[in-house]
This record gives sequence, C-alpha cells and structure tokens, in this order.
Amino acid sequence: MASVSIKHLYKKYGKEKHAVVEDFDLEIKDKEFIVFVGPSGCGKSTTLRMIAGLEDITEGEIYIGDQLVNKLPPKDRDISMVFQNYALYPNLSVYENIAFGLRMRKLPKHEIDLAVKQASRVLEIEQYLSRKPKDLSGGQRQRVALGRAIVRNPKLFLMDEPLSNLDAKLRSTMRMEITKLHKRLGTTFIFVTHDQVEAMTMADRIVVMKGGVIQQCDTPENVYSKPANTFVAGFIGSPQINFIEGKIVENALGHLEFRTTRLLLKIHETTEAILRRNNQVNKYVILGIRPEHIKLEGLYSETVITGIYKDNELMGADRFLYLDIGQEKPLIVRVEPENQFNEDEKLKVELDLSKAHFFHKETGVRLTD
Amino acid sequence: MLAISVLMILPIIYIFNNAFKPYHELFVYPPTFFVREPSVQNFVELMLVTSNSIVPISRYIFNSVFIALLSVVGVTIVSVLCAYPLSKHEFPGKKFIFAAIILMLMFTPEVIQIPRYLVVSSLGILNTYWGHLLPALALPVGVFLLKQFIDQIPDSLLEASRIDGANEIIVLARIVIPMSMPAIATVAILAFQNAWGNLDTSALFMQDDEMKTFPFFLSTLTSNLANNVARQGAAAVAALVLLVPNLIFFVILQSKVISTMAHSGIK
Repeated sequence: MASVSIKHLYKKYGKEKHAVVEDFDLEIKDKEFIVFVGPSGCGKSTTLRMIAGLEDITEGEIYIGDQLVNKLPPKDRDISMVFQNYALYPNLSVYENIAFGLRMRKLPKHEIDLAVKQASRVLEIEQYLSRKPKDLSGGQRQRVALGRAIVRNPKLFLMDEPLSNLDAKLRSTMRMEITKLHKRLGTTFIFVTHDQVEAMTMADRIVVMKGGVIQQCDTPENVYSKPANTFVAGFIGSPQINFIEGKIVENALGHLEFRTTRLLLKIHETTEAILRRNNQVNKYVILGIRPEHIKLEGLYSETVITGIYKDNELMGADRFLYLDIGQEKPLIVRVEPENQFNEDEKLKVELDLSKAHFFHKETGVRLTD
Repeated sequence: MLAISVLMILPIIYIFNNAFKPYHELFVYPPTFFVREPSVQNFVELMLVTSNSIVPISRYIFNSVFIALLSVVGVTIVSVLCAYPLSKHEFPGKKFIFAAIILMLMFTPEVIQIPRYLVVSSLGILNTYWGHLLPALALPVGVFLLKQFIDQIPDSLLEASRIDGANEIIVLARIVIPMSMPAIATVAILAFQNAWGNLDTSALFMQDDEMKTFPFFLSTLTSNLANNVARQGAAAVAALVLLVPNLIFFVILQSKVISTMAHSGIK
C-alpha cells in the first residue's frame, strides 16, 4: 500500500525540443484508483513507464510511499504492471508465468504454490494452470496477466491499456473485475487507457492528458460536468459535446444573450453572473452543451433553435440526431429511440442553457466562478 | 517447388550411390546416376588407405568431433551474447558495431586468410585447439540471424520480467534464449557445418599431423585425383563420410529450424 507523489516530471527524447511529458505534477493517495486518459501520443503511457522505471526521467521526482525512486530499477520499486499485449512468457506454463516473480524473489516453494493457487482462485483460472499462454483465449490471458501482477502483493499496480485487445463484451466484464479486484486488494492502482468509458467507470480520479500536459485531474463526475477546458469537454462524453462559437451581448432589458449569425439565445441567470464576473460581455466565447441537455419540444422559447435533420444513429436506448444549424459541425441531440424523422425535416429543439458551459475563445478554458 | 526440391536433393542421392559403385561402374560412360551392383569395395579401400597413415585415424576423428562440438557451443554462446544487446539494449556505437558485422558478411574467406594467420600466430595458438576454435567463434551470419530474431520478441516481455525481478542474465536465460531456440538451432547447424567442413585451420595453423582434422585428412587423401583412376572409389566414400555428420546434425535440429522459418513467416 502506498501513495505516489509525482513532482514536476518531464520527459524528453534525445535532443528533441518538445517534451513528451511536461511538468506532470500529481499526488496519488493510498488505495486510490487513478486513470490516465488521453488520445494516443499524449504521454500517458510514457508517464506510467517512468513510474515503473522502464523509462528514464529527464527531470522531476517520483516518490512511491516516502521513497524517491528516480534511480531505482523496476524490480526494487515493489510494483507490478499489466501490459497491453499481456506480455505472458510464451515458453512457460500459466503456473510458471504467475510464479515467475515469486521465484525471482526466491520465496520457498510451498509459499509460491500457495500464492499461485490463491491468485488463480481469485481470477478463476485454476483449471488452466498447466496450459501454455498460446492455448488460452484473450480473456483468459488477461486474467493470467492480472494473476501475475497480484500474486506478488505489490505496493502499486500499473496497467497499460490492459483491456484494449479484448472484444467489447469481455471488456465490460473485465472492467468490473478489475474494479472488484481493486476493492478487494486495497492497493493503489494506476490505469492507462484511451477509452473514456473505462476512465469514467473505474476511476476514483481521472487524469486527462494532452500533448504531455495534464488538462484536468478530478473525479469522473467533475470531469464530465465541470470540464476544465474545451479539450476535456470534447474528449469525455459520447456522443461528443456540441461547441458553438458566438458573442455575449447585453439586450435592452439588461439580460445577457448568446448571439451567432443565425442564433440568439437567452443566457441562464446562473451563467450570466459567471460571464459578467469574467468580463465576457461583448466578447466572443465558445458555448458547450452536451447532447442530453438538448430536448425536442421547447418550453422556453428563449432557447429554442431550429435545425435541419440530416442523420441519426440508433444506439438502442437512445437515438442521436444530427441537425444542421448552420455551424461547421452538426448539432448532436440525444433523444428517445422512438423519435424518427425524414431527411431535411425542420426540427425545433430546446437547449437547457443552465447546464451549458462557456469557454474562453482563445485559451479554451472554462469560465467559472 | 517440387521440381526445385528434387534438384536440391539429387547431389545427395548421387553421393550416396557413388560411394557404393564398384570401379567399373564409376568410370562407365555415359555416367550412371543410380548404382547397379552395389558393393562395399570402396569402403574397404578407404579403410586400407587410412590404416596406413602414421597418425591413427581415430585421432583425426576425435579432433574433428571435439572441435565441431566445441565450436557449436562456442559460436551459439558468442552469437547470443552479441545479438541480445545489439537487439534490445541502447549503447553508444551500437549502430557502428552492427554495420561492421553486416560488412563482415560480405568478405570471402580468402580475403581474411593472411590477416587471420597473423592474428593466430601472434596469439601463439598455432598448433593448438584454440587455433581451430578461435577463428570460428565469431560467426557474423549467426549474430545477424539471431539479432533479427530477437528483434521480434516484444519489449514488453523483457520489461515484464524485469519488473518481476529478473536481472539481465535471467532475462536472457529464461526468456530470450528459450524464445529464440529456432534461430539458435539454425546458428548451431551453421556453426557445425562451418567447423566440420573447414580445412583452412588444419592447413594453415596446424603443423603437427595429430592436430589436424578428419575432413582435412580425407581431403589430402583424395586431392590430386582429378586425372587419376586410382583411389577414386575411396574419394567417393570420403565424400559420403564428410556429408553424413552434417546430415545427422541437420536432421536432429531440423524441426527447430523449420519452426524458425514458420515463425519468421508470420511476423
């Protein structure tokens, strides 16, 4: 069990000017489940590999517990890692794969046997112990990889996109199993993924990364409902949040309105205060509104807009409508699946602007209190 | 494919048949491919010839087997130890070293004969088993083959074992070597052929007859026979005797080698 403290971490390769990881600063509490999420190439795996000791640190410090581990080889960090391709030793049986780490630590035979049996019972792979990895299915291999990680009782678990090679159904099962495992073991977990669903469902806290820089580090609820900037807002949430560029103007009655060439929307009182406090009156901003905060029939005429129905996607429980509202990107609306329309039909939708976010046009940062 | 494989196997069949041909059949015109009246007359002749030599033939055979086995073990160890860091580690001069090894693949043995003699003689290992062994130890083809093979082992496997607590020797012994067995078998065959068929070390570095190898002895028996009728039968058998150990060694390791090809085909 250990906390992890990462202080101003940098990673540069060779003489490249641009850092792959830049000023990464994070405190991870003991027993916390942290998920690093971001598009590929955002430096999340590199950061994880630096914590594991598989990658040199250019600058900064990493503490596991109270110990500075910058110069410590991986084997002395008391961590275990699950790799994307499982990294099972193909020449060894499942039993030997799980036992490998314990043998390296020269544990007595009966202890190894006990630990392997126990781990395999937890992961329900007892019947495969004598098989070779190549004779197992993807899900079973994944369990063996987990078994190899948990059997040593490490202080810290690192997982580098461990579910990305599994099919969708198995992935959701394994998601639950890993969460269960985390609760059962009570160990600190750091999990890297590019899949926002994994991040949202498993994490205590999500670290959203882009270009080697932390964009936001918060609970899944806050990352979703209070995104720090346009990148986080756009990355988390499916279907994607709608962005509309426009200007904040004050009307004759002293109320604030959001205006584009085709739209005029009355801004909700709560947001009005925020915009005023941030000096955004008569300035251009980006409005972000999630598809579920747009409804078909409008009660409030101030926030109803008309769009031309172009396309839809049926997801089973929901239907996503794509409306042309004269913007570069179509407006996505999440509705009940029964709603069906003809192409080019004009639709009126109502935007719940009390749930909308406003972002600074240049920096993309969300305007808050 | 079938036609090509028939073409490849014909010389081997020819060598086997030739060894059993009596003299009148060896010189028949037009030459026959298959033996008609098999006889062991040639074998008897070879034995007669060899029994007349000053150094007992067993000594030559011992030298050959001893050197061949040592060089198989030595070459594989040296090649693995050289290929693994070249493939999986970063160090200054790595590219240069690998380029040098590739360059060495292009030299014909004749080019390096004189410098090699100078090295062997200044090391003071003329007339010793080291003189046979040392020049054979560095097998660029073996290093190249193994490096390409080890390249295919995913880095994450080695990283996983390092996190599990393995040091570099264990990573090499428990992960890299078992996974490169097919390539190692191929290198072993190459090393065996190289050592077994090598006449240069006996001819150049060994002055004493008892330090020379069996194939060298056979070659001295059968050389200068180009326009000679005498001992042609013995020469035919000698060719067979030289071939058989290679064949046996190959058959033993064959299944491994074939999986090399299958493996490299997939990845």
